[in-house]
Amino acid sequence: MDLVGFAVDYARSKGATYAEARLERQEPENFILKNGVLDALYVGHDAGIGVRVLANGALGFAATNSFAKSDIRAIVDDAIKIAKASRRKSKITFAQEDAITMNWSVPEERKLSDVPVEEKIEEIQSVDRDLMGLKYKIAARYFNLSDNRIDKYFANSEGSRIHSFSPRLRVFYFLTLLDGSNVEQTSRNYGWSGGWEGIRTWDLSKRVLEEARSMRRSLTEGKKSPEGKMDLVAGPQVAGIASHESCGHPTEADRVLGREASQAGKSFIPPEGVGMKVGSEIVTVVDDPLVEHAIAYYQTDDEGVKARRRYLYKEGRVTEFLHNRETAAALRTRSNGAARAVNYNVEAIVRMANTFVEPKDHSVEEMIEGVKFGVYMKSFMEWNIDDKRYNAKYAGREAYLIENGEVKHPVRNTIVELTTPTFWSAVDAVGKDLDFEAGFCGKSDPGQALDASLGGPTIRLRNVHLR
Amino acid sequence: MEDIAARIVQKATDLGCQDAVADVVVNRSYQIRFARNEAVISNRWRESTASVFVVHDKRVVASDIKDLSKTDEAVERLVKIAKASQRNPDYAGIAKGPFRHARTRPDPRVVSLAEGGKYVEAAIGGALDEGAKECAGSFWKYQDEHFLATSNGAEGHDLRAGLYLSIRALVSLESSGHGIACATKLSEFHPEKAGHKAGRISALARDPKPGKAGRYTVVFDPLIFGSITDQAAGRLSAWAVSAGLSPFGKKVGKRVASNQLTLYDDGSAESIARKRFDAEGIPTRRNLLINKGILKTYLHNTSTAKKFKARTTGNAGLIYPDAHAVFVKPGDRSRDEIFSEVKDGLWLTNTWYTRYQSYMTGDLSTIPRDGIFHIRKGEVAETWKDIRVTDNLLHLLQNIVALGDSPEQMMWWGEVSVPNFVPYALIKDVGITTSAK
Repeated sequence: MDLVGFAVDYARSKGATYAEARLERQEPENFILKNGVLDALYVGHDAGIGVRVLANGALGFAATNSFAKSDIRAIVDDAIKIAKASRRKSKITFAQEDAITMNWSVPEERKLSDVPVEEKIEEIQSVDRDLMGLKYKIAARYFNLSDNRIDKYFANSEGSRIHSFSPRLRVFYFLTLLDGSNVEQTSRNYGWSGGWEGIRTWDLSKRVLEEARSMRRSLTEGKKSPEGKMDLVAGPQVAGIASHESCGHPTEADRVLGREASQAGKSFIPPEGVGMKVGSEIVTVVDDPLVEHAIAYYQTDDEGVKARRRYLYKEGRVTEFLHNRETAAALRTRSNGAARAVNYNVEAIVRMANTFVEPKDHSVEEMIEGVKFGVYMKSFMEWNIDDKRYNAKYAGREAYLIENGEVKHPVRNTIVELTTPTFWSAVDAVGKDLDFEAGFCGKSDPGQALDASLGGPTIRLRNVHLR
Repeated sequence: MEDIAARIVQKATDLGCQDAVADVVVNRSYQIRFARNEAVISNRWRESTASVFVVHDKRVVASDIKDLSKTDEAVERLVKIAKASQRNPDYAGIAKGPFRHARTRPDPRVVSLAEGGKYVEAAIGGALDEGAKECAGSFWKYQDEHFLATSNGAEGHDLRAGLYLSIRALVSLESSGHGIACATKLSEFHPEKAGHKAGRISALARDPKPGKAGRYTVVFDPLIFGSITDQAAGRLSAWAVSAGLSPFGKKVGKRVASNQLTLYDDGSAESIARKRFDAEGIPTRRNLLINKGILKTYLHNTSTAKKFKARTTGNAGLIYPDAHAVFVKPGDRSRDEIFSEVKDGLWLTNTWYTRYQSYMTGDLSTIPRDGIFHIRKGEVAETWKDIRVTDNLLHLLQNIVALGDSPEQMMWWGEVSVPNFVPYALIKDVGITTSAK
């Protein structure tokens, strides 16, 4: 904490009207098992300090991985110099926040640092062995187990002093199954904040085998997906990606204000768009950093603001933007603790954390029983959305025909290509089976691929066009 | 810093490693991000990192060491981890040096450049002159110095520096254009041209109408054609092929594109990613990847080359081979000639969010952004919005009808991940879809 305090004090003495410093140590490990072979193991020892200042109404940021005070002075001088060189006409201000002192950490039942390398490798190799035991024609298989331990010290010139520790665990896998010339591919991603105990909560082998069986069934029994207007029952993975892409991203205030226009884009929601109708009254989508054990869990953001649940869409209407202190000031409100950076060497910007459709009370069976003709899309493979977050596409991975309330044969490559209001306005039932997957959310320049959770329960959409 | 690289390699060798590579990188880059016509933040970095690769009994461990005062301890930890890890039977060593590297030098005026505000102002000014109302983007001065040592006798030093500016100009939310400027020489850096191009497209893109689904002959502007060739080059990494992430598997020697397309990778050529050597110390060189539509090779490091019974192409990264800089052999058509061939088609200027339903078959979609124009008889008939290219990577490459004669260096935020030197391209039978009503 001494070094971040030193950086902030030095910045103030050199003329910064506001200064903050983040010192981070990250200890990532990454095990890559490709086609049964441990292709590579990456072990990082990452540490450094970043300083952001406001000077002459402009922002400057500089970073170094040296902890020598002379180098810290140098980056503070850099940050002030380049901020002053900006010559902005309009002055950047930050929304008012109280100074806080906190020391928080995510508990680990079994510390990630105590788990031997051999055990981590065996964890994914045992899943791979189980998978190969199915005797399917698997053209390629790729498992990536990664963990990270993130230690942060934050100080700002308003008196905040925060220390935090976040251990994180993630498994990503990618499979390719063949049947003759037919190919089925999948990728799934699970995340956890906490210790090694997270690996047991996933029951990874069971999940991977179920996925492979569904892929095999899709290849051998799958038929062309029907085209036309019909009902869609979308599983938690689909609800999760839709929450992230067409609710979370368009409510990021920096996008709304045009700060990301050149890269991640803008938003179909205008700055005055709170209250705008975007979905049916049953749709409530939240972003909540305080979901225990979700991979994007945090108690304070990277501007030292306390985290809280954000209601992005409530009962079908835009309720709240995601803010950092800069965007909050621009829209004359308070930050809601959404500023995050992927590491010490980049600025904190507005980011989602754990974004999901708030569950209601329907069972999946009830939702399917209510469908005369439609598709039950449990998961997706291809997806994308335009840069104003209005036109989205989700292409089915595991999907089934529904006829007269019963799930029938698999259907392949169901395409959901709808606008954001069309998608969310069609929702007439929301389930109770809330589930999350992990993702990397990309934004900013230089790019910051940040831990995020995407989730939801199963949801039902009425009378939408599928193909 | 070369002492640190050599010391890391020596330490790893002393601890019993068969192979070791250390690339100490001193990063002194500088960036200005701008939005709403002025700077929103300026960034500067003072970082020194050792990217390290050690192999103990075919057990491979890679790392980035940030504390260069304690490299011995870091290497000891890595070797301990390697010993506890598992053998990789596919690992086939690193290239045997020493090597002679080209004596390239960055422009000293780029290296000494300390302030980029006037380039941002020039780009914004160019866009506003064309009718744009709002501009956003980034100016970069890239500068990193590499000190490489390997246990097989390769040593290298490379000071790399370049200038880059990306600008998006908007008249409104749905009327925008994008421009790119890249240069390794200050005298060849023209951000105002990028601004003018972005501004011109944004002004032309006023009042767009919803596009119509169908199959079209499409003029690909260099920026969006660069994202297609970048996809191709990325999928040509031997690692991607073996991971099931490529439609080019088992296609060496076969036709994968129309005979219009000749594609090569060249880290040694002048570009903002020019480098003297790859991660094994092998001198970068020109590698023909696709010759008149026929796939010639994947991108290899020493290990993947052995696995595929090929020769390394000098494209090693810390772990996997990847493209350095991608070049399309220019065609013989002027821009006007390309447009004149379109009776009823589209002109696309940029795209993003390219995703695959199947990497192995190449089925993908990508979402055009910025100016989307319906072309009739070679002229812009109207401006469109809200369309998606839904097609297949191989199908797109095989349907290249003509290429322009003036390639431009393109690189942009993930979609064009390394410099791609690309001209205008005319591609027939491109699938376009739209959101259902």
